Amino acid sequence: MMYLVCLSLITIAPVTDVQAADKPNDAGSNIIITWILSPDDAFIEYYSVLRRSAHDTDEQYIGRNKNGICTFEDNTTQDNIAYTYVIAAVMANGEAIRSEPSNPGRSYPQVFHSGRINVLVCILIFSALVLYFVRRARRDKNLFIRKIAGLAAVEDAIGRATEMGKPILYVPGLWDIDSTATIASMNILGEIAKKIARYDTPLIVTNRWSVTYTISKEIVKEAFISQGHPDKFKNDYIRYLTEDQFGFAAAVDGIMIREKPAANFFIGYFWAESLILAETGAMTGAIQIAGTDAVNKLPFFVTACDYTLLGEELYAASAYLSREPLLLGALKAQDYGKVLALVLLAVITVLAFFGLNLSSIMVVR
Amino acid sequence: MKRTLPLAICLVIGVSMVIQFFIPHPVSLRYNSTILTWVIILTAFALILAIGNVFVHHGHKIVKQQPGWFYSAVTIVSMVIVAIIGLFWGIGGQSLFQKIYLNILSPLAATMFALLAYYMASAAYRAFKARSIESFMLLAAAFIVMIGFMPFGQYIHPRLPDFAEWIMQVPNMASKRGILIGIAFGAIATALKIILGIERSWLGGKD
Amino acid sequence: MKWHERLTGIDRRIIYGLLTIFIIAPFFIPLKLRENIMPQTKKLFDFMESIPPHEKAVIISFDYTPSTYPECHPMAVGLLRQCFKRKIPVIGMSFDPQGPGMAVDASDYVLSEINREAASPDDSVRYGIDYVYLGYKAGFEAAILEMGENIASVFPRDHLGTPVESLPLMARTKNYKDIAIALIITAAAYPDWWVLYAQSRYGVKVAAGLTAVMAAEFYPYLQTGQFTGMLSGMKGAAEYEELMLRHNYTQELGKAERGMNSQSMIHILIILFIIIGNIGYFLSRKKK
Repeated sequence: MMYLVCLSLITIAPVTDVQAADKPNDAGSNIIITWILSPDDAFIEYYSVLRRSAHDTDEQYIGRNKNGICTFEDNTTQDNIAYTYVIAAVMANGEAIRSEPSNPGRSYPQVFHSGRINVLVCILIFSALVLYFVRRARRDKNLFIRKIAGLAAVEDAIGRATEMGKPILYVPGLWDIDSTATIASMNILGEIAKKIARYDTPLIVTNRWSVTYTISKEIVKEAFISQGHPDKFKNDYIRYLTEDQFGFAAAVDGIMIREKPAANFFIGYFWAESLILAETGAMTGAIQIAGTDAVNKLPFFVTACDYTLLGEELYAASAYLSREPLLLGALKAQDYGKVLALVLLAVITVLAFFGLNLSSIMVVR
Repeated sequence: MKRTLPLAICLVIGVSMVIQFFIPHPVSLRYNSTILTWVIILTAFALILAIGNVFVHHGHKIVKQQPGWFYSAVTIVSMVIVAIIGLFWGIGGQSLFQKIYLNILSPLAATMFALLAYYMASAAYRAFKARSIESFMLLAAAFIVMIGFMPFGQYIHPRLPDFAEWIMQVPNMASKRGILIGIAFGAIATALKIILGIERSWLGGKD
Repeated sequence: MKWHERLTGIDRRIIYGLLTIFIIAPFFIPLKLRENIMPQTKKLFDFMESIPPHEKAVIISFDYTPSTYPECHPMAVGLLRQCFKRKIPVIGMSFDPQGPGMAVDASDYVLSEINREAASPDDSVRYGIDYVYLGYKAGFEAAILEMGENIASVFPRDHLGTPVESLPLMARTKNYKDIAIALIITAAAYPDWWVLYAQSRYGVKVAAGLTAVMAAEFYPYLQTGQFTGMLSGMKGAAEYEELMLRHNYTQELGKAERGMNSQSMIHILIILFIIIGNIGYFLSRKKK
């Protein structure tokens, strides 16, 4: 009570410099109102935001802010209409002191998001790199790619299965075709199928999704046709199992125990069933080559498999195996893009040590 | 035409969605909203394709009496019965559908996942040998994290959980970030190749 | 076979047998070990405690399957219990086809407990006012993006087919601006998309309850502040149960805390096996 009585004796100063401006980089209907806090901010309960346009006869209450906050976003405006704002500083006893009206502010939609220029620049640079290296790969077919142990072992694995007269098992991951890892896996499947077609080795491709089943069937059939052995392709090579994660793992385990493939390929995106698959395969004595971009599943595969493609080596595999200029060129562009990103990160880190913080150029707004 | 039309659609939609990202105008947002709604509808259609595939694949096995055809019959009968139960008797909390889900599917799935514990133990025993300095450091870090994250870790040393958390927050995160940056570039390059028609494996087969 | 060679060649059946004993034993000889609380768990709990009741709703995305029930289900139950007791409105949804079964199970369990204890209708949790479950939606990327503009356009009906505009909670919750936080309980990579689309575009806060294997991947998000807390595996669920116990949301130990006893024993066993294997390996190498 005493507090309220004391409050009533105090005359507080209003907020000043109320500015209304369009919110940048949006679809319109937003005005940002800013002001300089009252010097008596500590005695203020909240700030009421009041709005008037040329069409309004009365002021309209828009919202409120706690004391200490000097910005408000009005997201109920109509575009291209001028609004003026008044900020009323309200004390605990209900008394309010109004500010001077703001400048007229209008909202309108932007056509270009200037906060995302950094993304646009990166896309343009990366696309330019891809196009440059694709053209260069067409001229010079011997672009260097370092040896990837897992891929170099593919030929040995297929040879081993052929000698033993046992099938090869290929699991293209547990994600659908819209995953880039599954697409990379399909590329590798095509190359492996071409080698298998030459050696007449049985193949088992197990699919979790109906779409990947359809696509892997087309890819393997096409691979056999391209090697001049269309008669060797069998529909049974490609199997659709189940969409349930662990049902799929159980089914693949059953195939490994019953049919005892000599070589297992686990290429794609996997989840927790990765260790169940890899460990069962290890128990059967098969040579195992795995590749995934699921970072936290890499330890499972590294532990239980003979060779593992780590992360982006999976994406490099299709270029590595096929040596197609387009794919090689894109791979080189990828590597140079990474180099540029690392240089940029290093420069920004070093500059930060000298007090110049440029990390905001990497923020996507 | 069979391959040209999908490639053309992919190029047009892919490029337009990239351009849309930079345009905050309401027209652009409405376009984005429409495309996203189409994606939701198309994804639902994939379910129909999956159901059709189950019937075709397993039906073929039953008709031809191939090895394991009995399990295919069980699959189809189970699918049809549970679908009918869900459609006609509801899927709410006390429904038969929910009871089947909790008392049959749930324990079966949990059992398969529980196998991981056994496989982890046998894989760890077989493969975690300190053959080199690097593998020794890996083992040491693994021991510290395993013990530090367990309730008894704090009784061994009060700072052990903090050290385990530091291993997760600093070395683990640093290495994960490095791999993630590489994967991100790989994914961007693959997406760019798909949009531009360089990567065509998703169409099935080659030209 | 020499004894040091036996150390590297222990039969798998012996390993699996010992593992089974070590898993089951704590259920009969309970270890009274209390959890130490990790900062990311505390951060999430404190944030949930700071949400004003009856105002902005919380989204809980039930995206886990029965296989991850022991890790994820206690998280869902704990979060629901905290929200319902504090009268924070909850909007549930799923982007995994098996999620609805788990969501209905968790919500039914917590709702029956709270409504049984309710002294008056105001204390009880009312469907449509305090809680809505929107069901499963395919195409999670598009759905997460579209909810930034209008949740009702993604989920025009709830799980049981009721039009959402007839539900009072959904009538006042249009998009992410009306959401305090999105909690994703999953064993998959859904939180990546929530951060990428919901948070970076629309600014909604995101937190996740993940299996232990997935949690390691999401530490970068914790450090950058993109995650407002994280529950990692059964340990994270047990920590949250411990916090619920300390703050009187519940009076007894939860399932995750009891399960942690078995997990602790298995960890000790695995460490022992690794040490035995390495002793055998080094002795064999020395002999050669």
